[in-house]
Amino acid sequence: MPQGTSVGLLGANGAGKTTALRLLLGFARPSRGAARLQGADPFDPASRRGVGYLPERLRLPPGVTLERFLSVHAALAGLAGADLVREVESVTETTGVRDRLQEPVDGLSKGLAQRAGFAQALLGRPAVLLLDEPTSGLDPLGVRDARAWTSAARARGATVLVSSHVLSEVERTCDHVVILREGRVVASGALEMLVQPGESLEDLFVRAVGGGSATGPPDSEDGA
Amino acid sequence: MSALRAFRIFAGEAFRDGLRRRLAFAVALVLLIGLAGAQTCTQFGTGTIDVNGEAVDGNVIGGFLAPLLFGFQAWAVLAIAGLLAADHLARPLAEGSAVLWLARPVSRHTWVLARLAGALGVALLCGAALLGGTGAMLVLRQGVAIEPALLAAAATALGAVVVATFAMAASLAVGRSAVVLIVLLALAFVAFSNGTGLATELAHPEVGVGGLVGAVDRYGPPLFTAIAGAVARWNPHVDTGDTFQHAMIRLGLWAAAGVALLLSMFRSREIES
Repeated sequence: MPQGTSVGLLGANGAGKTTALRLLLGFARPSRGAARLQGADPFDPASRRGVGYLPERLRLPPGVTLERFLSVHAALAGLAGADLVREVESVTETTGVRDRLQEPVDGLSKGLAQRAGFAQALLGRPAVLLLDEPTSGLDPLGVRDARAWTSAARARGATVLVSSHVLSEVERTCDHVVILREGRVVASGALEMLVQPGESLEDLFVRAVGGGSATGPPDSEDGA
Repeated sequence: MSALRAFRIFAGEAFRDGLRRRLAFAVALVLLIGLAGAQTCTQFGTGTIDVNGEAVDGNVIGGFLAPLLFGFQAWAVLAIAGLLAADHLARPLAEGSAVLWLARPVSRHTWVLARLAGALGVALLCGAALLGGTGAMLVLRQGVAIEPALLAAAATALGAVVVATFAMAASLAVGRSAVVLIVLLALAFVAFSNGTGLATELAHPEVGVGGLVGAVDRYGPPLFTAIAGAVARWNPHVDTGDTFQHAMIRLGLWAAAGVALLLSMFRSREIES
């Protein structure tokens, strides 16, 4: 992934999108090939320095207030003291959960929990954002906000990898796409290069996933 | 971020997590019952006691009572360590809340050791209250020496590390109910084996215990041999020699093996997200 770009990771169910993110975070080992995050082996903790992650199935720890949850993650992101307090205030203000700081995170509604998840991913202004189905559970206003948060991260130079089923969102927020089919990259590159004139991202997706080859040559034939 | 700072943060969260769990109420109940039992059993104090018409010195009774009482309380602490560890690591992994921690720039080893420390922290806090309270009652009321109590508490703490590490490692392979069952059965069997081994050695040193019981006593973790070796010093009629020292060395090796097994199993585990 070129630094500072926003890449949409697309594919049908079971194509390997979440697995790709798990490989990048060192949650699983590749059966073949290798994964690199910020140029380092994902099993090296240093590879995750400056990385914000929002999982698809967000599970927040029980019995912890949102403030505590975010403070701990801010500390793990390397913040301390007044910087930590300011950052927690800043991300909760941005994501619209500032007034929920004293509530237990496991009691938040799905949409608010997703916002809390976004807040923890944005802590410490990460250089790399890994977002797995980031708009899941968000209402239309939340989806719009999520788009704004992602764009703001990109505007300050962050590299964003978004795994999503929502093609319209990817089309609006990403400048590059990678399309997976059964664990293999079947198309990848800049959107304007892959999508032919008069064609939509959906057309490209159907072409790539439905069996035909996409216009751009695959970047990699290695399995995920 | 340094590994030490990350460990402190994770261990603090794991400790609070341990205190928040429903099991903490059961632990508190065990504490109350244990201390109430110690209060009842140490009420007779020193002096002469009439047993079946025969005057028996209270210290003699104390010499038999104190090891039994302390040993039972220590067993409870080991069981609590095992029960807490049975899902202190597996639960956040199964729930999915672990992925957010593990996506941070910290090693898996740091996180798993912090979870272990959190579970042990709660168990040892409970142990300090239970064994400390019981020991204080025995020392103040029965007039027994404090040193055996301190040595037995150290043996219990090291034993808790052994029990917790193996329980945690087992929880990566089987479900919580199975781990709880394994912990309780293993503790009972090790106690029986250690007790049989020690009793045989004291009564008939020339005879060795055979079979599985003997093997567990000779090669297994000497959880109760170490505790018994310490508290037996309260009884002037029993001489266990250097049993305590040998048992502590073996327990230390078992603790190291438990930690190595836990780290090895967790390193190769895939994390669901």
